[in-house]
Amino acid sequence: MADPRVERLAGVLVDYSTRVREGDLVCIDTSAAATPLVHEVWRRVLESGGHPHLRIDLDGADELLLGEGGDAQLDWISPLRTAEVERADVRIAVEAPVNTRSHTSVDPGRQARSARAREPLRRRYFERANAGSLRSVVTLYPTEASAQDANRSLAEYADFVYGAGLLDRDDPVGEWSALGERYAVLAERLGERREIRVVGDGTDLTLGVEGRTWIPCDGHENFPDGEVFTGPVESRVDGTVRFTYPASFAGRRVSGVELEFRGGEVVRASAEQGEAFLREMLALDDGARRAGEFSFGLNEAVTEFTGHTLFDEKIGGTVHLALGASYPESGGQVQSALHWDLVCDLRSGSEVYADGELVYRDGRFVDGLS
Amino acid sequence: MTDPRVERLAGLIVDYSLGLREGQVFRIDALDAAQPLALECYRAALRAGAHAYANIGLPGLLEALLRHGSDEQLTYLSPLQWEEIEGIDALVTVWSEVNTRALSRIEPDRHAAYIAAQRKLSNRRWERISSGEMSWCGTLFPTNAHAQEAEMSLAEYEDFVFAACHVHEDDPASHWRSVSAELEARAAELATVSELRVVGPDTDLTVGVAGRSWLAADGRYNMPDGEVFTSPVETETEGEIRYTFPALYHGREVDDVRLRFEEGRVVHAEASRGDDYLRSLLAMDDGARVLGEVAFGLNYEIDRFTRNILFDEKIGGTMHFALGSGFPQTGGANTSGLHWDMICDLRDEGEVYTDGELVWKDGKFLAKPALEVVESGAGG
Repeated sequence: MADPRVERLAGVLVDYSTRVREGDLVCIDTSAAATPLVHEVWRRVLESGGHPHLRIDLDGADELLLGEGGDAQLDWISPLRTAEVERADVRIAVEAPVNTRSHTSVDPGRQARSARAREPLRRRYFERANAGSLRSVVTLYPTEASAQDANRSLAEYADFVYGAGLLDRDDPVGEWSALGERYAVLAERLGERREIRVVGDGTDLTLGVEGRTWIPCDGHENFPDGEVFTGPVESRVDGTVRFTYPASFAGRRVSGVELEFRGGEVVRASAEQGEAFLREMLALDDGARRAGEFSFGLNEAVTEFTGHTLFDEKIGGTVHLALGASYPESGGQVQSALHWDLVCDLRSGSEVYADGELVYRDGRFVDGLS
Repeated sequence: MTDPRVERLAGLIVDYSLGLREGQVFRIDALDAAQPLALECYRAALRAGAHAYANIGLPGLLEALLRHGSDEQLTYLSPLQWEEIEGIDALVTVWSEVNTRALSRIEPDRHAAYIAAQRKLSNRRWERISSGEMSWCGTLFPTNAHAQEAEMSLAEYEDFVFAACHVHEDDPASHWRSVSAELEARAAELATVSELRVVGPDTDLTVGVAGRSWLAADGRYNMPDGEVFTSPVETETEGEIRYTFPALYHGREVDDVRLRFEEGRVVHAEASRGDDYLRSLLAMDDGARVLGEVAFGLNYEIDRFTRNILFDEKIGGTMHFALGSGFPQTGGANTSGLHWDMICDLRDEGEVYTDGELVWKDGKFLAKPALEVVESGAGG
């Protein structure tokens, strides 16, 4: 029998996250490993009167392109991708990796070139999402590869994934709506602040946030969700930060990352593993050395590191900072082909100050809000 | 490890069938089950300097649309599909079903409505293919479902498919180049003929072909391939024919079809099974009772009926006569919503006369065609 949580996930994605309406062109962007979820989403879109459009990656094609493609091929963007960005009313992206380390031996310079070529697509997605003409959600379908990264069996990992989405509850949409209200209050309060200082193990970082908007994330653009983020003032990020967790990014893993910021820019960077790749990514373009996003992870159903950003950045009691592009709706100005989230666990021996006032200790806001 | 025959098939399609060149935009249409071949096509395209991308389908989605879609959803063509079709220089379609009968119980009217809507797109695609703006090749990746139709194991069926494409040996392209030369020569010879007479079991059919050109199907549009075909003169088909193999149309089977023609039109039709379906297809429109194609199947690696027209119409030693639409590029003028290839086995007792001269007996032309291009003697 099919896992009922898959059907519930499809329902949340179509009805709640992207609110598919009659006549919507709905791009489902995924790989074949997500077939059971695609079937449920496809059917739900049909029931909602939308027109489902499938875009499936050919497993292994990316590696071939990055390994063997010439420059013109690396720079090329499929006209269909461009058309999808312009035409879709809804985009449902389902990550379902079959191997999260498949790019480990790829030349980082070529990977950077390919990422730069795709930047206009990415920017256009954000523009349209921001303008409200595209509703877009990113989710993950549990695969053996992701389970392996999380040191879990597939069955254990599926429990974790669906638990994080509150899909094991009776009324996931109701739960997410209630969380959304709490996040909105938190975002509003943070919006009154000018400066955030994060102090923890190996970390003392100050970020200017004056005039910026904090965005509550309640399952509309990511699913599962649970964060409140903003784009820090570009010239006002100073200090050092040590990221607790390894970060899988673009098919490889980097761990033990430490960054020093001065005047908003990374002036020193090191990593225990993957430092060459880290440097290549920081050199990708001007924006790649800046912090485009700062965020509090708030999902209490996600308590452990599992090696995937979608979940790790939501761990209740963490903060994350993204190198590279801002989300324009936060007021952030950083433009970059990069958006790389790095997560810092604050659940023990850590404090956050807002305009000098202690607001958060050991992973929780002191006023009990979250 | 990938079956080396899959890699060779991909190379053959990309280099020989499509002639893919640097900078061309190349789309690979395949179902999930055909990913190994799709990936090899992608690799071959990268090596050719082309810009490749895959359009991978999943089984079951079309069924959901046909079952649950509203009329509007059923006939919807997205702007994406229209825009995309204009930008493609080369396309490969890899057929690779996981269940060839999955749509058997779909309401026929709904299925027909879907097909009619999709035909608008495929018509535009054919326009671009015929005008040379894009190249296209259709092929098949073996699955258990296709093997089951053919009543073989998957391993047996793989041997059958890859031998038919001649990728069981090195350098299949040189094989197909020589096939091409021979088929072209045969087509040139047949172009001088006014009348074909086919004699076989319960069959004595005369077909006028004066002024029509014959085309060599040499592996560019289909892989495997191997036939020469034309569209007969619409008013000159006379006599009787019995189709020895079951005639399949949209997955339905009609057995032991017998037709009688007068002045180009079917005047009597019967079948031992599927008689009603045969009659309903003949009544589809005015052109459905007229032959749109006559062809010789000349791929002798294909030696048995496997319930798949990609292979069956090319069985070496057979002829097929299709009811319905003709091919304008051969001079054919018949138009119809139908194009139904039905195959006649002439391997055991069959004779073909061109303008009264016996040219084919028991599944083979009696003489090789005169090759226009004489191979140079430069060897070693």
